[in-house]
Amino acid sequence: MTESVLHPQRTSRQAASGGRSPRGDARRHRRLQAPGLPWILPALVLGIGLIYYCIGYTGFISLLDWDGLSPEPEWVGVHNYIAIFQDPVFWKAASHTVLFFIVTFGLQTFLGLVFAVMMHSKIRLGVLYKIIVFVPVVLAPAIMAPVFRQMFAANGQFNWLLDHIGLGFLAQPWIGQESTALPVIMVITIWQWTGLTFVLYFAAMSQIDQSMIEAARIDGAGNVRTLISIIWPSVRGTTVALAILSAIGALKTFDVPWLVTIAGPNNATQFLGTYIYQTTIQLAHAGYGAALSIILLVVALVMAIIFQTAGRERTREKKGAR
Amino acid sequence: MFEVRTRWGKLLLQVVATVFVLPFLFPLIVMVQGSFAGAGWGNYSAVLGVPGFFRFFLNSAIIAIGVIVLVYVVTMLASYGFAKLHIRAREVYFWMLLVCLTLPEVVLLTPLFATTQQLGLYNTYLSVILPLAALQVPFAVLLTRNFINGLPDEMFEAARVDGANSFRGFLYLVIPLTRPIAAAVLIFTLIGAWNDYLMPLVFLQSQDLQTITLVPQFFVGEFSNDQTKVLASAVLTAIPEIVAYLCLQGLFERGLSAGAIK
Repeated sequence: MTESVLHPQRTSRQAASGGRSPRGDARRHRRLQAPGLPWILPALVLGIGLIYYCIGYTGFISLLDWDGLSPEPEWVGVHNYIAIFQDPVFWKAASHTVLFFIVTFGLQTFLGLVFAVMMHSKIRLGVLYKIIVFVPVVLAPAIMAPVFRQMFAANGQFNWLLDHIGLGFLAQPWIGQESTALPVIMVITIWQWTGLTFVLYFAAMSQIDQSMIEAARIDGAGNVRTLISIIWPSVRGTTVALAILSAIGALKTFDVPWLVTIAGPNNATQFLGTYIYQTTIQLAHAGYGAALSIILLVVALVMAIIFQTAGRERTREKKGAR
Repeated sequence: MFEVRTRWGKLLLQVVATVFVLPFLFPLIVMVQGSFAGAGWGNYSAVLGVPGFFRFFLNSAIIAIGVIVLVYVVTMLASYGFAKLHIRAREVYFWMLLVCLTLPEVVLLTPLFATTQQLGLYNTYLSVILPLAALQVPFAVLLTRNFINGLPDEMFEAARVDGANSFRGFLYLVIPLTRPIAAAVLIFTLIGAWNDYLMPLVFLQSQDLQTITLVPQFFVGEFSNDQTKVLASAVLTAIPEIVAYLCLQGLFERGLSAGAIK
């Protein structure tokens, strides 16, 4: 460590005298690269230091039966983990997360793609539409939560709207019943993040070679055919990036289910994030919450590795194609 | 992209676009309309009359600026190191950093709670700024490293031959050339820090430190669940975000897409 901290001065002096003294460290001179460890050190201290410290600490707590405050927690080994795998709420939360990811990612991709194509098609008021769709991305979910609670309430504006477009028979207490609470959370999330999907697709589509699209048209491809055969494959990189973002987002979901439905009714909108918060802070089962956190972390890691390998294969394919 | 030649086709496309866009507008209309229900502008004057209302904005701004400065400095240094300097086992460090990318912030709660209390950092800005910055750094480094990788090595070698040490190379090459990606980092970090709810909820107990994301909760208590005033406070807290977006619209979109397209 000390050595590498001292290195940059030495190398920089060498570099400063550059071409004039070729007798310096030949290997390093050939590389023309100064040691970089001191440069990445702040990031390592902040990122790895703080986060790995917390992970280690959480791992330790997960082996305790602890309320988070008492000075003498009881050592219970892997008991918390065993309890979690027999905990129906945990499985409920896990299945909600998976379902949530599939639905929100699917619909966001569809809507984002459609918006991006339409905005590229010279429609009127395009700029205004773009702003409307993107604004939710910058609004904090915590601030919008009361709005949605009000909107989806039994006497809220959504039922009012249904009434006025002749669908009054569909009106129901959307966030008050188990069957519709989770879809409401999904709708809110889609409302919030479609703007990002749209902007990324919009940018990706600007990079598509126009002559390719024209060639397809000359060959007789219609709008839908062009979308499926030319546009969709061209933006695949963006789709993969968005899939990763959505999956991580699904695992991190907390604000919306917590503030709109308080993870209820009857755990109908329970997610891993909300369950950890509930057990740790509200029920003061810090040990159990920590074990849940570790499981969440392992799932996230496995997922990241899967996506990363998939992404690598993709780049290899791309390189091969060139 | 779509080619529509007939007038009816154009009209149809316009109608479809409008029908798709309207649901996105609906919650915003509900918010504004709800905030005027009952007392009308009175709701707004009641919210603005609450002592310390602007304190929430100030706190959010302090935290956001703190996180942005920290993330920017740390990210630029690290990305330059990863992309252009010699580090033994460089990919190991990089992967260790990337692992943090997947970390949900709720995992940090218990250890941070215990540690900040021991260190006396609990209920200070730092107890929110540090973890938020730590969570943003991995993604920022990923974006920026990729970007700097794309800058030609010859340029840095030329600078070196001209007598610039790695620090001057950083100052006069990396900083100016990374502006597009710095915009992306800035935007992501700003949205992340400004909109964060969990960290302020847990770590900021005194009301004069709390951020705008805690405003609805505060007003539910303050006005004993008078929805119209809660919605008025939501509108007031949303306005700066919308104004910021409209002013920096180009930066937002360029920044976000610079991150996605390489």
